[in-house]
Parts: sequence; structure tokens; C-alpha cells
Amino acid sequence: MSTTTPKRIESRIVPAAGYASPSVAFAVAAIADVHAQLAAAIRGLPPAAFAWQQAPRTNTIGMLVAHVALAEVNLAQVVLLAEPRGHTPDVLALTTDDDGMPIEKYGGSPPAALAGRDEAFFLSLIERAEAHTFAAGRALSEEQLGEEIARPPRPDGSYRVFDRRWALHHMVEHAARHLGQIHVLKRQWKAAQPGG
Amino acid sequence: MPARIERLEFKPAPGRSAVAMTWLAHLDDQTRLLARDLKGITAAELQWQLRPGMNTIGMLLAHLAMVEVIWLTVAEQRPPLADLERTTGQGRDDDGMPNEEYGGKPPAKLKGRSLKYYLNLIQRARAHTKPIVRRYRDEDLTRSFTRTRLNGERQHVSIRWILYHVAEHFSGHYGQILMLRHLYRDRNGRA
Repeated sequence: MSTTTPKRIESRIVPAAGYASPSVAFAVAAIADVHAQLAAAIRGLPPAAFAWQQAPRTNTIGMLVAHVALAEVNLAQVVLLAEPRGHTPDVLALTTDDDGMPIEKYGGSPPAALAGRDEAFFLSLIERAEAHTFAAGRALSEEQLGEEIARPPRPDGSYRVFDRRWALHHMVEHAARHLGQIHVLKRQWKAAQPGG
Repeated sequence: MPARIERLEFKPAPGRSAVAMTWLAHLDDQTRLLARDLKGITAAELQWQLRPGMNTIGMLLAHLAMVEVIWLTVAEQRPPLADLERTTGQGRDDDGMPNEEYGGKPPAKLKGRSLKYYLNLIQRARAHTKPIVRRYRDEDLTRSFTRTRLNGERQHVSIRWILYHVAEHFSGHYGQILMLRHLYRDRNGRA
């Protein structure tokens, strides 16, 4: 009879404490879980892996991580906090152009702002975005989640209307989508290395 | 002419648990967007492999349907595969994933399948999901239990985690499908 203790794997989502809204508490717990998966996916990668393109005009792992952080911070500012405009440099020291996406708009190459950046830089983007999102959501009430947030009109006169519930949903699904892509890129990068 | 308004709102259907219904709305939203993004895709693209051992878009779509049925069956604390065949017509191996275990090739059962076929698989999975999630009350979400996975590992899960996981898993593969579409368009250096 084996005396080995079976390996136990725990899979939990525990709503974050200290939130006015149960829905926000659950949403930020989900965001934190996706961030943890994102951090695990990039941990141990050298700077070259963050800048690697599998083909011309395709996003790099670094661009995707920066994009996730920038999108989340911007959305927290203009929707969760209903600020008139985003100011991502205050949180990430990056502008919304610095992810270089969509890449077609930026000449098909990774952006200079991310050149040579290492794991610590990208992990720090995730950590700072998360802290910002958590703080932005802490005082929101359940009632505020359905409020209409109208953005200033665009040059063509159209404008966007959000609610905060959508913003929280989008933060999870957007980060998860790019996480899925990062998993594939990481595998492709490893296969492209000598002996890979 | 009145200004065009782009509305981005997220309104889960009413249910016993607002949190549970939010995750159902997440799945429905992602399915709607995925179907929109795959409109017009050919059978050739659905079964295209970037290289041997890589998942095809078709495999990922079949996998999404299968995983949803399996996890919601687990949430009901029944054997994971109990509803799979009856709900989707698929067996455990029919997504061909992980592809290394299946010779690096897409599974024969998915050869030549159309988008309609795959969307139908997902719709059947969702029809299995909805009545389960609608029954949940908030207190059900905290229920947790230990299960033995098909590979023998013991796993402690809560209903709340299962709902979250099925949603983020769907989004993760959706992102990969978008990336594969981009690579398919640009294959052989075609832009």
C-alpha cells in the first residue's frame, strides 16, 4: 500500500474583502486570478522573448502584457472612476501608444518604448495595473455598476456609452484573451530557439 | 442626423444569484463576439494547423463546448463525462487535445466540419449550462468539494471557481482563435 499523500490542487475564487459591492469583490478576484496566470506565464522569460515576433506584423509577448495593463488602467480611469480622460502615464509611466498596438498603425515592428525591457518591468506593469483597479473599485456600490458613463464625442460626432459592469467584465475577458495568446506565443518562441 | 452612440453595457439576465448570472452573461457575450469574428470562415481555415502539434480553430471550438459541459457536470458533483456524449455527441478524445497525445494531427472526426457545426456544439453545451446556473443561489457558489480528476489528481474546487474558470477559459481560447485567424491570413507571407 502506498503511503504517499495524494497531491491536492486547490482552485478557488474568493471575493476580495473590503469592497462595497459583492459583484465588484468577485470581479476583482477574477481579475487578480487572470493577472496571477499572466505573471506565471511570463516568469523566467528573457528580454528577447518579450520582443520576439513569430512573423512580421504580429504582436510580441511584451506588447500584449503592456496592452493588458494599459487597457485596464485606462478603463478604470474613464469608466470605473468616470474621469474625463485617461492618464495612464501616472500609473504605468507609459502612454496608450506605447504598446504599439494595433501594430499595423505603428509600422509592423514592436515599439521602442518596450525595447530591451525585462521580466521585472512587465511584472511591475501587471502589479501596478492591479493595484490601481482594486483602488478604483473599492468604494463602488452595486447601484453604480449600471450607471451610464458617456465619453466625450469623437471627431465624427459619435460617442461611446459604457456601464461599469461592462468595464469589469471586459477587464477579465480582455486579459484572458491576451493571456491565451501569450501561452501560444511562449510555446512558439521556445520552439524557435536552438534545440527547441 | 443624430450622433451615433456605441453602447457597451453588460446586463446579466435576472436569476437567483446575480453573481452566477454575471458569469453566464460573460459566456453568452463571448460566444456572440466569437460567432461574429468567425463569420465566413471556411472549413479549410477551421482545420488549418500552424504546424504539427498545434491546435486548429476547429479543435479549439470543439474543446470549448466539451469543457463547458464537463465542468458544469462536475459542479453538479456527477462524473465529469456523464453528460458529454448525450449533450454534444462528442467523446472525451474528440477535440484531439492535447494534440501531442494524438500524433500532432487534428482529429479525424472534425475533418471538413463547418462553422455551423461548431457553433451548434457550443449552443448545445450552453443549453446544458443554463438551467444549472439559473438554479444557483448565492450560498451555492461557496460550496466546495474535493474531486479526483481523470488523471488521478485530487482537486478541491468551489462552484464559484468553476463558473469563473469556464468563462476565462472560453476567453483565453477565443484570443487564440483570433491569433490563428491572423496567422492564417498572413500564411506564406501573404498580407
